[in-house]
Amino acid sequence: MKRKHILFTILIVATIILSACGTAQTATPVTTTAPVVEPTQGQVVVPTAVPPTEVVAPPEKTVTTITWIQEYDSLNPMYTNMWFSTTTQQIWNAWAWEFDDKAQPYPKLVTEIPSLDNGGISADGTVITMTLRSDVTWSDGTPMTSADFKFTWEMYTNENNAVASVYPYDYITSIDTPDETTVVIHFDNPFAPWLALLWHGIIPEHVLRPVFDADGTLDNAEWNLAPTVGLGPYVFDTWESGSFARFVKNENYWGTPAKIDEIFFRFVPDEAAQVASLLAGDADIGYWYEWIDAQKLEDAKFSIVVVPNGYDEGMFFMVNNTEAKFNDQPIGHPAMLDVKVRQALAMAIDRETLNQSLNLGFTTVPASFWDSIPLYSDLPNTTYSYDPDGAKKLLDEAGWVDSNGDGTRDKDGVELVLGYGTTNMEKRQKAQVVIQENLQAVGIGIELTSLESDLFFAGYADSGPTYTGDLDIQEWSDAPMFPDPDIYYWLCSEIPSADYPSGSNSFYLCDQELNDLIVLQSTQLDYKERHDTISKINKIFQERVYWLGLWQDPDPWAVSSKLQNIKFSPVNPFFNITEWVKTP
Amino acid sequence: MAGKYQLLPCIYRKTDSQQPAKTLMLRYIIRRLIQAIPLLFIISIVLFFLMRNMGDPIAAMAGRSVTRSAERERLTKVLGLDKPVYLQYIYWLVGNDWTKTDVDGDGIAETQGTRKGILRGDFGTSLVNRGKPVTKVIAERLPNTLILMVAAEVVVILGALIVGVYSALRQYSALDNIMTAVSFIAYSMPIFFIALISMYIFGVFFKRWGLPYLPTVGMFDPNVGKTVGQVALHMILPILSMTLISLAAYSRYIRSTMLEVMNQDYIRTAKAKGLPRWRIVYIHALKNASLPLVTLVGLDIPLLLGGALVTERIFAWPGMGRLFLDHVNRLDVPVVMGILMLIAVAVVVFQIITDIVYAWLDPRIRYGT
Repeated sequence: MKRKHILFTILIVATIILSACGTAQTATPVTTTAPVVEPTQGQVVVPTAVPPTEVVAPPEKTVTTITWIQEYDSLNPMYTNMWFSTTTQQIWNAWAWEFDDKAQPYPKLVTEIPSLDNGGISADGTVITMTLRSDVTWSDGTPMTSADFKFTWEMYTNENNAVASVYPYDYITSIDTPDETTVVIHFDNPFAPWLALLWHGIIPEHVLRPVFDADGTLDNAEWNLAPTVGLGPYVFDTWESGSFARFVKNENYWGTPAKIDEIFFRFVPDEAAQVASLLAGDADIGYWYEWIDAQKLEDAKFSIVVVPNGYDEGMFFMVNNTEAKFNDQPIGHPAMLDVKVRQALAMAIDRETLNQSLNLGFTTVPASFWDSIPLYSDLPNTTYSYDPDGAKKLLDEAGWVDSNGDGTRDKDGVELVLGYGTTNMEKRQKAQVVIQENLQAVGIGIELTSLESDLFFAGYADSGPTYTGDLDIQEWSDAPMFPDPDIYYWLCSEIPSADYPSGSNSFYLCDQELNDLIVLQSTQLDYKERHDTISKINKIFQERVYWLGLWQDPDPWAVSSKLQNIKFSPVNPFFNITEWVKTP
Repeated sequence: MAGKYQLLPCIYRKTDSQQPAKTLMLRYIIRRLIQAIPLLFIISIVLFFLMRNMGDPIAAMAGRSVTRSAERERLTKVLGLDKPVYLQYIYWLVGNDWTKTDVDGDGIAETQGTRKGILRGDFGTSLVNRGKPVTKVIAERLPNTLILMVAAEVVVILGALIVGVYSALRQYSALDNIMTAVSFIAYSMPIFFIALISMYIFGVFFKRWGLPYLPTVGMFDPNVGKTVGQVALHMILPILSMTLISLAAYSRYIRSTMLEVMNQDYIRTAKAKGLPRWRIVYIHALKNASLPLVTLVGLDIPLLLGGALVTERIFAWPGMGRLFLDHVNRLDVPVVMGILMLIAVAVVVFQIITDIVYAWLDPRIRYGT
């Protein structure tokens, strides 16, 4: 009998060991009898055996842990398009101007934001003059000057640097730096998105110029992955691949010092594990979790913060009115050329229910493509409501009827069966099924496709499915050039072909009126004029149904109750990180 | 034992050769290594072409927005993705420092290549972590994977030996039946389920109940720092998850081989001679019963280098498995090829080592000429 219990005993002991060697609950700080020691930040003070004296426990290092479901590719703003990387810019670097929690711009490295009123923008809109703050220094003590801005532009546009995106720096024709605090930017034509898109991270000339001169490129610069010199309230300390990145307080910070000592990013790629780590107290802030976990986190005293970010999930309709072909094959279904069919699609889909069932009511149907763009979210809302009978009527009027009794409408021998594709994200696949049922109910057949995102978004040259004509309805989450309202997909010049395989207009739509308005708004520096133009574009979008919003796609954050004063900007989330406070 | 000879006829066979065993072994190793060269070459071709046809790396780089057309053209050219796949493979294999490429798009090849190719030890640079050498990317993760996987493998082997031997010696006892049932339950559970359940029980609920609890993710607590104790603490749940499944399979294997050995004549003879039971079990029976385990472990070891895809992902352990997943998702061909070739080489090498160890453990086995 005794032996039989050996393994049971082992199992029990193992369980006890598993638990016992674990972390004990954090003890409540108590006043101890120890010598008075002036604590040094970040150091543990060890009491020594001397006569007891009443002391207060030394302040512990405060660390805020943030879980990131994706790891950075690079920290150099030149070499990344990753949201998870660019959002760290407010921690260890800075933008020329940043955006607050209402997405309103405020000057950061400049004394004021250039405008037509203050003379920072020339009357013809082709010259922007910035005046830099004179008290800004890099974390190594070197003053930041206009030369850093010019160097940043030169590096972005130098063809020896395989940067992630040259845009919008390729719109700049030259930069003058008459003195250390003045930057004069020249454009050929007025460039409306400058405020939203320029100077998202400055690179230090005194660090990187020698590297570029030696190597002829910045592609292999150590600073890209370990930017030890920055402009932010924290400085880069460590980035351990696959594990974490640590930023510690910048003791030379030129602005108001941060209150928290260290920002620790932990890379947790699994969303369920991220939620578990938050619930276990292993992280203070989580980002990007399933809506279904929001209640669980709220119960654990996390604040759920939903921040609009310009992105909306939507259906892009292929309207090939240019008779474009792919490999000599016709592209798109002829029914999609009829606006009544597209309007019927909009009316046949129960989008409100989709928001309730898939996003648990955390989102609503976006009113327009600019639904969460600051200053442009007030565009007239003429979105279509769920009306299957109305949809059937429109299809009848368009001549698409079920003449052969197979349950699917047809016209001139062509069945109304549309290709509908998106990426293989679970939520999208669920939405596809619901939408398929909605459309079948009005007699529209749907063939579903869902692919890995890199396959779905493959280009024309790689026979990407959005380009081949197989997908009459293409679904993904997108935004204008947030926080700028600029768009470009629908430009006629962006229609891809064998001669121009990189064209982004995978809808093969050329609407000249729309095209001209898109071009016009991109040059309008006056807000009212531009707002008016965007309103006209939105009206065309609504009436001609080139895009149909399904649900808003905001950023979901979960914040521990230990943290106070946290606000998130839709543009640069950590804009007020110096004000964050963490309590034990 | 004759059955084993039939199972592995091309590797092992008895020989009457009068040549010294060492010479035979050396000749055998050299032959296997030479055979591995074309094998690795073929593997590299297949993997490279598969990887390059899995999707569009430029699309994968786009982040949240679709890549602008001009950027797509520029990046395709700068990263050499505009070249035919066979040429990309040649550059990957032998480098491009012997030729010039047209980077500025004027139709004239003006830029001297700098890559040396893997045959000269240059695995290239990561497309994701632009400019970072593949060898460095892998070297950063390999130790983390080895720490976790070796520890898990040791726990599995020791646990399987204990459970397997006990079950074999107490066949059909209540405990054997319980362990059989537990083994099948553990074996049938997906590892992500075990991982998340253990995370919630030992990390979330234990803390909620005021009990000592275990950390859920990562390698250490940033408030404490990366100490040996912290890393060991953070290894417990990943190892527990991996062990439960593997231990179930291994222990069943040990149990069956032990049962087979315990019924052999020589064991009966040993018992008849009155040898102590521990000596019969642990010296005579277990050594022979462990032989097939050597093959299993030998096959496992190279795969340890690949890490544990699911476990590393869930527990946010920065190992090779996560590296592979992250970079496959972003179609980082140089890094993925580096990992795959590392594993391919390891498989070949460890198979040879396994053969040698097997022969060392079983003196009846000789290498053919």
